[in-house]
Amino acid sequence: MTADRWVAAGLFAAAALTPVVVRDSFILDSLILILLWGALSSAWNVAGGYAGQVSLGHAAFFGIGAYAAALTSVRYQQSPWLGLVVGVALSLVAGGAIGFLSNRLKGPYFALSTIAFAEVLKIVASRWRGFTSGSEGVPVPFRPGLWTMGLSHVQWVYLALVVAILYYLVQVYLERSRVGYQLAGVREDEDAAEALGIPTRRRKVQAVTLSAALTSMCGSLWAQYVGFVDPIHVFSIDLSVRFALNSIIGGIGTALGPFLGSILITSLETYLRATFSGMKAGFGGIYLIIYGVVLILVVRFAPEGLTGIAARLRFRRADAPA
Amino acid sequence: MDPAARLGPAQIDVVAQLAASAVLLGGIYALIAVGLTLIFGIMRVVNFAHGEFLMLGMYLAFFAFTLQGVDPWVMLPVALVIFFGVGLLVYVLVMRGVIQASHNVQIFTTVGLSTALQNVALVLWSGDYQLFRPWHASVVLRAGSTAVNLSQVVAFAVAVLLTAGLFAFMKFSHTGRVMRATAQDRDAATLMGIDPDRVYRLTFAIGIACVGAAGVLVSPLYAAYPQAGLQFVLLAYVVVVLGGLGDMAGAMAGSLIVAAVEVVGSYVFGTAWKEVLYFVLFIAVLVFRPAGLFGQRGAESLGV
Repeated sequence: MTADRWVAAGLFAAAALTPVVVRDSFILDSLILILLWGALSSAWNVAGGYAGQVSLGHAAFFGIGAYAAALTSVRYQQSPWLGLVVGVALSLVAGGAIGFLSNRLKGPYFALSTIAFAEVLKIVASRWRGFTSGSEGVPVPFRPGLWTMGLSHVQWVYLALVVAILYYLVQVYLERSRVGYQLAGVREDEDAAEALGIPTRRRKVQAVTLSAALTSMCGSLWAQYVGFVDPIHVFSIDLSVRFALNSIIGGIGTALGPFLGSILITSLETYLRATFSGMKAGFGGIYLIIYGVVLILVVRFAPEGLTGIAARLRFRRADAPA
Repeated sequence: MDPAARLGPAQIDVVAQLAASAVLLGGIYALIAVGLTLIFGIMRVVNFAHGEFLMLGMYLAFFAFTLQGVDPWVMLPVALVIFFGVGLLVYVLVMRGVIQASHNVQIFTTVGLSTALQNVALVLWSGDYQLFRPWHASVVLRAGSTAVNLSQVVAFAVAVLLTAGLFAFMKFSHTGRVMRATAQDRDAATLMGIDPDRVYRLTFAIGIACVGAAGVLVSPLYAAYPQAGLQFVLLAYVVVVLGGLGDMAGAMAGSLIVAAVEVVGSYVFGTAWKEVLYFVLFIAVLVFRPAGLFGQRGAESLGV
């Protein structure tokens, strides 16, 4: 196993042990958020990192999942798990459609088309009051039980952990499988990949579709965990940027990167929120200013993120005379 | 409705009002879009933070009016100078380092800038909607049954003047020629003794000055708040892609089309759904004619 894999195994093991040692709900809550954000960024990474389809509209799929789960349980009194499945199905269709339609687009054009897609869904969710309750949002009542996803903090930790490990493994698969190498080829030089007989368009659509489904699944879980869904938040560009931000800071196109990014950014957010919460309204925005500045600095000076920096340091050590 | 009655005087009035509103709106969109398309055309960077400079322009006008009683029309030349300076500063601090970098680096640099600026505004000035009414915002001009607001007319006129001025500058001045040469072939331009860094600095500053001025012009018409830029900039993307990224004349045509879609759409479907209409238009254009209505086919897949 490489160093990255050991680090990941260590982090997941630590997450699994935390509820055994700590019962403090603040810590458990932070842990759940770190795992969910890490999983969400991994989902983004499948399209943005591995296939090079950089999306700024992944909130669309997150929102689809969140609304599917919330509406299934609130409006139809069915299990949110069923809603999760519905959300994944819808996101497969939506992801396939947007992936197919935006197939030829590159760089900023692709990003713009995904933004437009998320905006359309935001408007539909805000205006279709009869079904989605419009911009007021949908409160999700807490009904205890596994079937209704009314879980305790400890149960949530393990559920989020299972999802996080699953997403991590999906990424590992993309790093080592034939399909993964093909995606890397598409990302680095599409014409060359095409010339080698890789079905580049199909691979790109597949990556975006898979990424959409994974994002939707976490969106459903998030809605049930947080207990509230509203269109302005779940379809926002800020959210889409957040998915990308974790991956970029941790290391875009690596399996560990999104989780490292999530640990850093989520703890930073929690810390700053707690610090500034007593101050005048709007000071909550301070951590977002820091995000923005960090994002600019990272893409400028360390575009490979934390895992990239670590790899560079390791190489340097290996080169140094003993 | 009886088809024979369709073209009665009432319908002609409606059409005239819709056309007037579309043209006035289009002029303002053009000024926002022209800076975006200029920056893209010369620097090959999509400025995702463009809307935030519009928002800053709106706040500048708001504070000038509420604190000092300065009319936005008086603020306009001041704003042009201030935002030109802001553009230079942002170019030197942020953009210069990524001008040669990959698309992804450029996208996330400007996205980061956008997040940072939005939240600076949030922290400094809170998330409240700030609207002020100078005298000209309440003056209504009438021609027949078509009514328009004086702020809107002046905003339109100034926007068209500035856009036309920029257009002429790019087309006829020596500096404009130098800028276009750099856009066409950076290496050849360098060999001719052109300093691309200076060209980019000037381009970015002009683009930001345009959008800052647009912010001042729209301030009597729309409320300022930290995310105010977003709705406009999304429109500007639609406009710019419609016209072909980097194509200034296309951007003007695109503005009129988007404004027409918006005005007619809100008349037919109601204001609630008009936005869906232009985003659907946007996606359709990206899918079917990503190089814009008048652009060369294939530009989008070259990544230029």
